[in-house]
Amino acid sequence: MNEFNLLAQRDGWIIVNHFVEIRQNPKRLLIYLLYIFWMGTLVFNSVIRYRHVSDMQLQSGPEILGAVFAGLGTAFILFFLYRGTKESSTFFSMGDVHFLFPAPVSPKKVLLYSMVKQSLINFLLYGIFILAFMPMIIDIVSVKLEYLPFMYLGYIGLVLVIGPLKFLVFAIGSKYSIQPRLQRGLLALMAVFILYLLASIISAGNLMQALLEGLNASFINYLPVIGWSKVAFMTAVTGYSTYSMVALILQFVFLLGCIVISYYIADDYYEDTLKATEQRSLRKKRKEGAEKPQRSPFLFGKRKNLIVKKVGTGPWALFWRSKLEYSRSDFHPYLGLLTILFLLVGIAAGIFTGKQADGLTSIYMTNGIIAYIIFIFSASTAGQHELTKPYVFLIPGSNLLKIVSTNLLDILRMSVNSLALNIPLGILLEVPIHIIVIMVIFMVSFYTLNLSSNYLIRIIFPNALDQKALYPLFLMLQILLLLLPGLIVGGALALIYQNPLLAFAGISLVNIIIIGVLLLLSNAVFARLEWR
Amino acid sequence: MLKVEHLTKKYGSVVAIDDISFTVKQGDIVGLLGPNGAGKSTTIKTISGLLRKTAGSITIDNYTNTSQAAKRRFTYVPEVPELYDMLTVWEHLVFIAYAYDVADFEAKAERLIERYDLWDKKDKLAKELSKGMKQKVSICCALLPEPDLYLFDEPMIGLDPKSIRETKLIFKELSEQQKTVLISTHLLDSIENLCHRVLVMKQGEIIVDMAMEEMKEKLGNNEIVSLEDLFLEVTRDE
Repeated sequence: MNEFNLLAQRDGWIIVNHFVEIRQNPKRLLIYLLYIFWMGTLVFNSVIRYRHVSDMQLQSGPEILGAVFAGLGTAFILFFLYRGTKESSTFFSMGDVHFLFPAPVSPKKVLLYSMVKQSLINFLLYGIFILAFMPMIIDIVSVKLEYLPFMYLGYIGLVLVIGPLKFLVFAIGSKYSIQPRLQRGLLALMAVFILYLLASIISAGNLMQALLEGLNASFINYLPVIGWSKVAFMTAVTGYSTYSMVALILQFVFLLGCIVISYYIADDYYEDTLKATEQRSLRKKRKEGAEKPQRSPFLFGKRKNLIVKKVGTGPWALFWRSKLEYSRSDFHPYLGLLTILFLLVGIAAGIFTGKQADGLTSIYMTNGIIAYIIFIFSASTAGQHELTKPYVFLIPGSNLLKIVSTNLLDILRMSVNSLALNIPLGILLEVPIHIIVIMVIFMVSFYTLNLSSNYLIRIIFPNALDQKALYPLFLMLQILLLLLPGLIVGGALALIYQNPLLAFAGISLVNIIIIGVLLLLSNAVFARLEWR
Repeated sequence: MLKVEHLTKKYGSVVAIDDISFTVKQGDIVGLLGPNGAGKSTTIKTISGLLRKTAGSITIDNYTNTSQAAKRRFTYVPEVPELYDMLTVWEHLVFIAYAYDVADFEAKAERLIERYDLWDKKDKLAKELSKGMKQKVSICCALLPEPDLYLFDEPMIGLDPKSIRETKLIFKELSEQQKTVLISTHLLDSIENLCHRVLVMKQGEIIVDMAMEEMKEKLGNNEIVSLEDLFLEVTRDE
């Protein structure tokens, strides 16, 4: 059988089996309907905002949007290309590795088919992000509806090129043994990009103005990939010109070029893609709750011969293990890369928002937004932590201590992060110290509430697949059941006393009470837990 | 059938396989033994073309192992069975039949899944199977094309006793059919009476390459001394 027919046949079966699975388990349909509903609300929201032009639409909106696209796009491209000098991207599954790679099928054709298939999937899949950001985009700029396809294709053209380009960089680097030279070249490009931004800041004197001007400089529009995609993306905002079409065509010709060159040079790539394929498979298993996420040694490599002092016996062994893992993957058990990020956000928010709004509003908004993001992200790890391993069930000791020792280090780290955010923010905005303290407690209480409630998820949805399938539904329930009491109490206090600070204090207090109740119920919770 | 000459595999500065050479003749069943980390799986993965060799050569029937001609002559069972989650058991077999261009595969495939008690799981998706069942599917897929050379990496792990016995029977049948089998395993007693020859690896090198008859002679045809004893003796740290 022709290789392409063979692969198409396999994918045909997979698509049919997805439909069969939905028919056999209609519960899955619910989740797809929820996603469709969510996307519908995004579109509806965009339409409403489009009809009622927001007062927030800024004069410098197009410059802001262009600068964000160019800045983030360049950072993403450089980051992935640099990663490409160390590891390949993958378009395969572990099934491919074990069945297709040893089989008598052309590796080139397998690669070509898989790259094109992945690009088509991503073409549809990553559209969700632009849909999610559309209401915000409409808020800051005026969008010309007839050129929306340009906006989508410009954005997706940039996203699609990352996989093949990363693969190509790795393939060329390993085939011609020039990885070190490629790394140096990319580091030089990164340095040029940073120096360019610094030079813009120095010449303009104003950080915001410098970034807007620097990232919207006309020469950027002619840069391959990032410039072409930016021009196409911004067509819906700045209007159509002949170059819009030229840039869009160049972008997709570049993508096609990457795929064609990969096809011709990659004939011995199986080993190159193994690691990335295994990692992808592991990520999938983690999402389904089958594997515990490993904290990635992002910058520090795998540190060996670590000595972490004994913390205690019984359940405290779980705390010791957390310390060991963080010591290995971060620069300190209590401090991490996230601490630096929080610190930078605190400083940046203090500098930028301090001039535009009063200090209290800025600190409330920053903490509120970050607490919400933390809540959403820590909810996504529900059921993936200690409960996927047998030790928490087997180690002798009280269940309350097990919950505490499992989560304590994460809570302490979040406390440090929250301090790193709020201290500079508070100093720059000149807010009283008791407000900083309440903000720190507020953020940590959000995080702790979520960690404590994750145990309940396993009781309500013991099946890992159900957890994944019904995740959005659960998130809604979690928000309703856990956040609502705090919001009601906090909201009522703020309204009665006309003081927004009381909302934060009220929410924190209710969160702490709920955490206490959840901990007191730990024996009842553990009695119903199963290791699956 | 299989010729490995001066094979070396390095991961950066770590030497996983250190200049090993061996040949496996048509019809031989060869056991590849060794402690954890000895390089057995790396050797089998390199022969099957999943890993790139750093130096040396591997030929199968005089064809380079990564050529299409060589790949038509062998199948591979990995240590950890990774199937296509969204394909059924039967679809896996059909896929393999198409990939290896197996004519009239239906009857063969049915016989195999019956031998491994998978008939009632025929239409189940791979993601719904237990690890042992996945291993059975993986073995069935390797057996279906009926190649000349079979590469098995720990095939018995996760199998139930009946399937282990069935696999041993299949090895015997393959030997009778003059097929060649290279099998890596820790279950020494399960291959003791099957293998014609054993290769023992340690720290990336082959430290023993001996025919079973020769080994038995060396052990004085002593029934009490087993392959396990020999293995423990030769792999013992000085």
